[in-house]
Amino acid sequence: MSIHNSLSRRSFLRGLGVAGAAVWVGLPALDAMFNTNGTAYAAATPRLASQAVESRFVLWFNGNGIIERFWIPRETGSDYRITPCLTPLAPHRNDIHIITGLDSPAARLPGPGNDHHRSMSALMSGTSFTGRGSGGPSIDQVIANKIGRDSRFRSIQVGVCQESFGESVQRNMSWADRDRPLPPEMIPQRLFDRLFGTKDAHWIDRKKSVLDAVRDDAATLEGALGSHDKARLDEYLSSVRDVERSIASLPPEYSEVVERPPEGGDLKDWPRIAKLQTDLMVHAMASGQTRVASYMLTKCQGLSRFPWLGHTAWRHHEYTHGNVETPPGQRILRDINRWHVEECAYLIAKLKSMPEGDGTMLDNTCLTYVHEHAEANAHKNSGLSLIVAGGLGGLKTGLHTRVTGTIGDLYLTIAGEIFKTDIETFPTAGKRLTEII
Amino acid sequence: MQARLRVDHETAYCSRRRPDVRIKLGSFVKVRVPVFLRTARVIAALGSLAAFLLAWPGAELGAARVDDAFFAEKLYPILDQAQCRLCHGEKGVASTTRLEFPREDASAARITAFGLALAEFIDPRNPSNSLLFRKPTNRQQHTGGERIKQGSGEEKLLLSWIGRLAELSAEERSAAIASGLSHAGGPHHGVMRRLTHSQYNNTVRDLLGDRTQPANQFPPEDFIRGFKNQAEGQSVPPLLAEAYGAAAEKLARNAFRGGDRNRLVPCAPRSAADARCRMKFLRSFGRRAFRRPLTDEEVAQYDALFRKEAAAGDFLRGAQIAVEAMLQSPRFLFRMEHGPEGPWYSYEVASRLSYFLWDTMPDEKLFRLAGAGKLETPEQVGAAAREMLQDSRSRKSMEEFLGQWLRFDRVLDTIRDRRLYRDFNPELAAAMTEETKRLFGDLVWNDGNFMDFFTADYGFISTDLANLYQLSEPASEFDRVDFPEDSGRGGIFGQAMFLTVTSKPSDTSPTERGLYVREHFLCQEVPPPPPGLNASLPPVTDEKPMTNRERLNIHLTSESCASCHRLIDPIGFGFENYDAIGRHRDKHYLTIYPTRDEVMKGLKKKETKYELPIDSSASVTGIVDSEFSTPKELGEILAKEPSCRKCIVRQLFRYAMGREETPDDRATIERLYADFRDSRFRFRELIISLVQSDVFRGVPVHVNP
Repeated sequence: MSIHNSLSRRSFLRGLGVAGAAVWVGLPALDAMFNTNGTAYAAATPRLASQAVESRFVLWFNGNGIIERFWIPRETGSDYRITPCLTPLAPHRNDIHIITGLDSPAARLPGPGNDHHRSMSALMSGTSFTGRGSGGPSIDQVIANKIGRDSRFRSIQVGVCQESFGESVQRNMSWADRDRPLPPEMIPQRLFDRLFGTKDAHWIDRKKSVLDAVRDDAATLEGALGSHDKARLDEYLSSVRDVERSIASLPPEYSEVVERPPEGGDLKDWPRIAKLQTDLMVHAMASGQTRVASYMLTKCQGLSRFPWLGHTAWRHHEYTHGNVETPPGQRILRDINRWHVEECAYLIAKLKSMPEGDGTMLDNTCLTYVHEHAEANAHKNSGLSLIVAGGLGGLKTGLHTRVTGTIGDLYLTIAGEIFKTDIETFPTAGKRLTEII
Repeated sequence: MQARLRVDHETAYCSRRRPDVRIKLGSFVKVRVPVFLRTARVIAALGSLAAFLLAWPGAELGAARVDDAFFAEKLYPILDQAQCRLCHGEKGVASTTRLEFPREDASAARITAFGLALAEFIDPRNPSNSLLFRKPTNRQQHTGGERIKQGSGEEKLLLSWIGRLAELSAEERSAAIASGLSHAGGPHHGVMRRLTHSQYNNTVRDLLGDRTQPANQFPPEDFIRGFKNQAEGQSVPPLLAEAYGAAAEKLARNAFRGGDRNRLVPCAPRSAADARCRMKFLRSFGRRAFRRPLTDEEVAQYDALFRKEAAAGDFLRGAQIAVEAMLQSPRFLFRMEHGPEGPWYSYEVASRLSYFLWDTMPDEKLFRLAGAGKLETPEQVGAAAREMLQDSRSRKSMEEFLGQWLRFDRVLDTIRDRRLYRDFNPELAAAMTEETKRLFGDLVWNDGNFMDFFTADYGFISTDLANLYQLSEPASEFDRVDFPEDSGRGGIFGQAMFLTVTSKPSDTSPTERGLYVREHFLCQEVPPPPPGLNASLPPVTDEKPMTNRERLNIHLTSESCASCHRLIDPIGFGFENYDAIGRHRDKHYLTIYPTRDEVMKGLKKKETKYELPIDSSASVTGIVDSEFSTPKELGEILAKEPSCRKCIVRQLFRYAMGREETPDDRATIERLYADFRDSRFRFRELIISLVQSDVFRGVPVHVNP
């Protein structure tokens, strides 16, 4: 499906404004709209006059940890040898930076939950698990609050594998705030309808008046509520406002070029669904509907099964602990981790296939690929290994760097150096990792 | 903001207990002194502050002044670090001991009062003989081990505080102990509960006649502390708000597709603008959607929306948009409550009853009772509840409770190593949960003694389960079958459901089984392993093939593991004669695969197999005379165990109230337990007693005598 060609005729679509103000919905950035450097929208487009091309952040996650022996390159610098788990990234090695040695100290604070709960909360937000959820907002939300406010969706959450132990901190990676999860959309058809479903002007008008009534109704409630309940009501109303904004800026024509994922098929064929979800996420960003996305391939302490890898006796979490000392056990973990990397490589390839300005979407994206632990069996949360990819913000690529610092340091670097926001602090952060920029 | 709230909270609290304190406290609030100082002054005002005392025993402490703030500032962080609360908390494994730490979110006032109340564990004549000194340092045998190192600086601080407490006069001492108790918790604020997904489905079925179960398309609900309906976990992220909107649109459209099929409009409109009929509709539908009568203001709001849409000339279009909007109103999605002083008290009780007992909105009969104000006294509520329990909807609702309590979702999601457990498949897992449901239903609805849930020497099994249990097949599927005396089975612990949900894909897990017993049936939370600890057990080798008991012995060789694992593993050993899908086994069958090294060096190529004898002797630390070696024997111990009986009350309370019990609920739990016991453990009587309680009826509970 070539987005580029089929869309080059079209121009920006004007959506209906929230409270009268016009909101512009972008289709994929088009050649005609770039200035001669290919770096900014031509002045003729109303809202985005001379603004830089939209930068985008993707936080990408898979559950459980890795098998370090088969994952971490032995050498640092640019001449590292690709390890068995990282082979799918070989074609993209000049687009990625492998960063190892990061610590996640909040995971080791005493408190409720098991190692998985604690690692997850610490990894996403730099805070410790509350017993219910993350102790604070996750990095994608911190960034979304800075760069996502003008988009149709401040951020989107996408998920793939569903098998888990069922608790909130295990099933959600994005957190609006302490104990406030943002669940991922797991079903491709529903994600499509949400992003690209077409509605007519009458529907939009009608929907707006319904939501107005809901807000008026709620407004008369507030006086009667205790502070606790008021906070909950506020949360609902702010969600209603988000819905209102997304309705007011529907991009009707885009649905004609993105195919709705077919119904049916094997609903647990995760590699297939992973790719459908990736496609939709990329199109959502390409069409300017959102600048921030989180992608949860598998759940925290995930229990995925791997029929396409031929490993069906156990589930992922059990494979990370059982028989890990035996060669077959290690090979299984290697295969599983390689599959994770393969799906991440698919996203990178997809971003690279979307022309934008004089480059591709990847040039304007920061993709950060994290996993729950370092070595999975030990639930290790020091020496985390992860990947930052994309050409945004002067990120150095083509390297493997062993750093001394925390996951918070990395997030602060991304927020401050790559996205140039005014975020000055992040839990557990003490410095910026200037060596990666 | 946080500090402000706390101030209000304490003002309210103290003023209730001691009206004379209020003015003084008020003046402190105005000057906004730090919480600590204020707390100290509150205590002073309450008259329990003794004269400033010297540190004991060492003058070497020098600067550390031992005043009332000393505890909260200096010692409490140390006790927190030592993780005392994890066992000595309201849900800890040591909750049956006299020592109970404040909750994690306790106010400074509560912590200070707690510090003084520790005087209970002091020997004033011989402070170094105090339990408060001897237990945490493990000078006297302490299940939790040496939490405070002997001879450490921490120990010195502990001694300083003990010295401070030892100086209290007898009168001050009892006041301090009493004050520690009466500070057990703050007043509980009612929480606004959101309809659960299953309540949403059932409610739109009863409200609109719609059986499409739209909530199945909502983002799935997460488990928070054991249940899916806990208010603190019910947030509404944008994705859910959007789903509510989409569902409301579809439901409203379906409701009026092809006219008013479900007769939602109680009158025949004479025109699209028929004001009388419109009002009548808004009031009648609104009352059912919001589960109470609408105010004039509310009617006016929806009226405006209705009129605008009906202006095109179609009355039903107006009705449709009003329905769509109401289904997104917080008054529909949440259960708002104003309590007995509010205008709709009886209606709120009606909703509480129907959502607890039926998992859906009130029916017309309950609405009528509410409208007549006949759901206020415990007798009225009890009578209504008894009638509701005759309805089949209550069976479904209680099965929902059972399934969440015992985590049927995990049973149904179980996976087994097919090479080892050929008989296991999803149908068998479903049969396992069905067996549990049948026993539960038999006891609840036939008014049996509910403690038979742990001891029943019969079960309701399918043919597949009969094969698994090596019993003769039932006359028909899930018929009652008696277990032979020597089967060791009896009650829940002999059921494949329990034995499976607590196992791993290839083998049993005594640790998981022990934990499950503690958490689900004793309501005790065992502290998690210390962070960063490598919790995996060393592999079993050919030099020393081991049973699970021998393997788990490593937990007892290290103090950091032993302090918790001796509370867990010894329970699980009692089930070792039952494998990971609940089949009886005489021997532990063990397979050892070659390690990477062995393969590289050519030392070992193929796996080796062993049959090892099983020792299933077990016990429950903390319960006297609790030695057992079969599931049935543990069932008999727990059936008599007050903490287990009380745990059933607590679990039902959590499900019914949508929150965990707080220290303020203690008296309620005790009363429910007493009623449960006096009824000879009839579960229906427990339900009745619960719905009649002040807490359930939303009547403020006065905690202090």
